[in-house]
Formats: sequence, C-alpha cells, structure tokens
Amino acid sequence: MVVRAAGLRKTYHGKAGEPVPVLGGVDLEVKAGEFVAVVGASGSGKSTLLNLLGLLEGADAGEIWFDGERVSHLSRRAQCRVRGMSIGYVFQCFLLIEEMTALDNVLLAARYVARDERQAEREAMALMERLGVSHRRNHYPSQLSGGEQQRVAYCRAVLNDPPLVLADEPTGNLDEEHAQVILTELQGRVRERGTSAILVTHRPETSALANRALRLRNGRIEPS
Amino acid sequence: MTLPRLLLRGYFFSVLGIGVGVAGLVALGAMAERITRFIEGGDRFVLGQISVAGEGIGMGTGFTAGGLLTASKIAEITRVPGVAGVQAQVMLPLSTTTSHFLTLTQELVLGMDLAASMPGRYYQGLPVRAGRFLHPGDRGSVVVGADFAAARRLGVGGRLRLGGMEFAVIGMLDKTLTAPDRFAIIGIEDARELWLQRDPMLVQVLRGSAAALTQGDLNTGALVVWHSGEDPDGLARRIKGVVSGINVTIPSELSRLLRTSTAFFSALLFGIGSLGLVIGGLTLSNTVTAAVFERIRDFGIKRALGATDLQLLREILREALVVSMAGCVAGVALALVIGWAVETRVVHEGQQLFVFSPRLFLFTLAFSLLLGSMAATYATMRIVRVSPAEAIRRGA
Repeated sequence: MVVRAAGLRKTYHGKAGEPVPVLGGVDLEVKAGEFVAVVGASGSGKSTLLNLLGLLEGADAGEIWFDGERVSHLSRRAQCRVRGMSIGYVFQCFLLIEEMTALDNVLLAARYVARDERQAEREAMALMERLGVSHRRNHYPSQLSGGEQQRVAYCRAVLNDPPLVLADEPTGNLDEEHAQVILTELQGRVRERGTSAILVTHRPETSALANRALRLRNGRIEPS
Repeated sequence: MTLPRLLLRGYFFSVLGIGVGVAGLVALGAMAERITRFIEGGDRFVLGQISVAGEGIGMGTGFTAGGLLTASKIAEITRVPGVAGVQAQVMLPLSTTTSHFLTLTQELVLGMDLAASMPGRYYQGLPVRAGRFLHPGDRGSVVVGADFAAARRLGVGGRLRLGGMEFAVIGMLDKTLTAPDRFAIIGIEDARELWLQRDPMLVQVLRGSAAALTQGDLNTGALVVWHSGEDPDGLARRIKGVVSGINVTIPSELSRLLRTSTAFFSALLFGIGSLGLVIGGLTLSNTVTAAVFERIRDFGIKRALGATDLQLLREILREALVVSMAGCVAGVALALVIGWAVETRVVHEGQQLFVFSPRLFLFTLAFSLLLGSMAATYATMRIVRVSPAEAIRRGA
C-alpha cells in the first residue's frame, strides 16, 4: 500500500491552553513493500506522526492518502473500517487488555472486522506458534514477560494481514534478544508480503534495519 | 459475556456499588409499599361497611367510637330499607394509656356479635392463617391479628390475658396490612364483660339505670351491610335520617377522612419513593458511568483495532446490562437481608416496615436496566468523541 501524507500539522494545547506545536507541515510517502524508520529526538513529534498516519487522531491540517483514497477526510465510521482492515499497530507499551487472555487479545483484531471466528482463531494460533507464545495463549498479560507481551501485541497487529504496520518504539521496553525477534518478523513480513511498515525508533541500530530513515526535527522531516 | 468474566474484568466493585444503590432503592420502595398497602387496605376496610355509633364522644371506650349504641337503636337500624344486616360491636383500646392516640395504629380489642347475619359484607370473613375464626357462642376464645400475634409470639392453642380475663387463642389472621393486624377479636359478650371490668362507673350505671339499660346495650358501634345494588352512601344518609341519636359514618366520607388522616403518610411515601429513586438511580448510573470511563484505555485500544461507535456501544451496553442485572440481584438480596434483620428486631413490637412485592422487584429491575443502559450509552457517546489516541493516553 502506498501511504502519502501532505502538509500534516498538529498542535496540542497545554493545561493553560497555550499552544504546543508538534508537527509543522509533514510530507512523506511510503511505497508498498517499503520499511521506513522515523527517527528524531524525544518530543520531535514521531509518535504524533504515527498516530496521525494510523488515524488514531485527527490532524489540524493536511491530508493522508492510502492507495489513492483520502483517508484523513473519511467519516468516523469509515475510518474505523480502514483502521481495522488496513492498519496494524504495535505500541511501545504493548497495550494489551489486562483482563483478556493472550489469545483473546490477539483475536480482538478480528472481532471488529467481521471475520470468521474459527478461521481467525486458527490463524491466531499459527501466528502465536511462530512467535513462540502459543503455550502462553491462556495466560493474562500480567503473567507474561515484556518480550512475550510484545510478541502477542505483534500477533494482534498482523492477524488481519494489514497492508500497513505502524510500530511506535516496539522494542523500547525490550532487551536485545526480544527486540530482535520483533524486528526480524517485521522485516520479513515487509519483504515477503510486500506490505509497508513505518517504525518509530530512537535506536540507530533499529533504524539501520529499515529501507530508509526519515529524521523529524522541529516538527518537520529533514531533507536527507 | 458472562458475569464471572466481567467480575474478572474489574467489575466486582461496580456490581457491589450498584447493589448498594439498588438495596437502598428496594428498601425504601418496600417501606413506601408498606404505607401504600396500609392506606389501600384501610380504604378497602372502611368502604366495605357503614359504621354506626351512638351519639357522644366515646369517653367510656377511650375515644374509639361515639357513645353507647343501644340494642333498640340497632333494631331500628335493621328495619331501615336497604339494610341487609347489622352487627353490634364493642371496640376497646387494648392499652388505656395509649387510647388517645391514633386508632389506626393502636392495638384494639374488637368484640363482634357473631350471631348477626352479615350478607354482602366486603370482608366476608377476615383471612385466617391458622386455626379458625370465631363461631357464634364462642366464649373465652380469641382470634388475633398477625402483628398482634407476632408481637407476643402467640400461636393457636396459646393463652392470652386481656384485662382480667383469660382467652384461648383459636385462630390467627393473615396479614391484611391494615387495622385488623393489630386486633384481638373476641365474642361480643366477652368484650362487654371486659369493658365492665375496666369501667366501674359503667357497672354503677347498669345497676342503677332507670332506663333499664342492659348488658346487651353495651355496644360501642355497629357495622351495617347493604343489599346488593344498594348505594352505601345513600343508605348511610337514609339511616341517619330515619334513626335519631346515632352517628353514621358515610363510607366515602370515611374513606376521605382516612386519606386526610394519612396525608402525612402519603407525603412520606412520596418522599421515600423519590429519595429511593434518586439515591438508587444516582448510585447506579454513576457506578456504570465510572466503570465505563475507568476502562477508557481499553476502549481506545478497541477503536484502534477498528471498533465502530455502534460496535463499542453494543459491547458496553451488553456489559452494562449484565453488570446492572447482577447489581440489581445483589441489591435485592441485600435489601431482603436488611428487611429481614430489621423486622426480626422490631417484629416483637408488632411492626412490619417492609413489603417486598413482585411489582417492586419488577420496577427495580426495569429501572436498573433502563438506567444502566442510559448511563452506558451516555458514557459511550462521551468516549467515542475522544480520539483513540487520546483515549489510550487518558487511560494510561
């Protein structure tokens, strides 16, 4: 999937209502089968950019296009469909639902896109098997290690085989070994399936795995 | 989604919170129901009969009625067209020290002329729970009201001392939730003797009466029943016009008087009911709303995974309904326990504070589910207005 963003702007407001500009007009394009890393200092707007691209929040200005469809201006309901079918998210803090088992957390991705439950469960089990967490399927997140939680979160992100995976510091809370598992999976997925991936990271060794790296500074992408 | 899973998902305290609110609603509602039954029962009781008493203020009987209603007056009333039967009665307060208080709530000794034929009376017979009702000619026997019996732990076969007389308990009435619950009913001959024992002046009057007053004239009042199709108010006015020297209570006026005298209770009922609704309603809706907002992060994640507003609403509603239902059941159980505990403590004083009726339970269930749904809908509408990213941030 080709992801294109043009003129993305985002300003938050502080407690006193003072404006805190984060993105000041970001343009980017990610081609199908491309693995792109977004790097930058803390507070440079990397996560905000990922949130906007993932339709997790709206931009103040600018447009986002997925394969020629201007998704940034779709209705709320239509954006839900895009999020469910076209985007997979991996977050730094995993964001698993505490009261659900590992398997149920993975299957959550299928629940909202009207997938056949049995088929989804078979695929979820296969994914968990490959990532080495199938034996933990009936455990709750609090009973899993950080590495296991992130692998479960990764399974959830890719269960619906989305053409775009957005990963926000996916290895930030993991040791080297576990980080490598996730990154290798992500890399292999992009290469084998021709999907796109945008990865936010502050680790140079992680960004080195990407096809290219975009550096955010002062709310804009620096020319490479 | 099953309840155990919801409890596991951190809804335990929500169920508990709703339970407490619902328990308040049910307990207060049961108290309101008790007052309603009291008024309704009293109304049914007075509308089913015309009460007649002799003229006067009833000092001898402790203000439970008017003056003496002699046998000749009763005979006169019997001859009034439309009258189907007249039953002489003696009504005495059980405790002379409380005789000036509200007669609706005090314990009374009621002597009934059981030989009188009373066709068409609304209360054909008072409902007997155990034993039997009095038969004509029964002496030294008493039938007691439910509260009267409970206050003294009386049962059929027990003995009861009234004044200086000993009675065998031959029957116990079912709860009527109105005046007869606090009655001790005996034959009129026994009641007259009891009255004479209590009032030495009356003995002197009987002995020295130039007007040949007999024991049969010792009646504090009488109940009149009418032939089928007769207008009771019209008949009451006719009796008043034909027979002199008596007080006739017109049924509809008595009903009005009863309602006036219970106006305080009606206001109290309204207040209790409103309070119950407000407390229970606020607790329930607040708990459901708080429970939903508490999980805003989870809903943010679900929206990130593609959940639409409607899917989220359905999910939250389903959870809210299960939680509300569980809270409702817990609340009803809690209220029943509270009611049982309170009544166990005060029942010896002959009181019933709560009536847990099916309609109260049904109303509570419907109210809980409706409010739970409304609160869940409100919370969902608030949540879906927040972006998934913001929801995740807020819940972090």
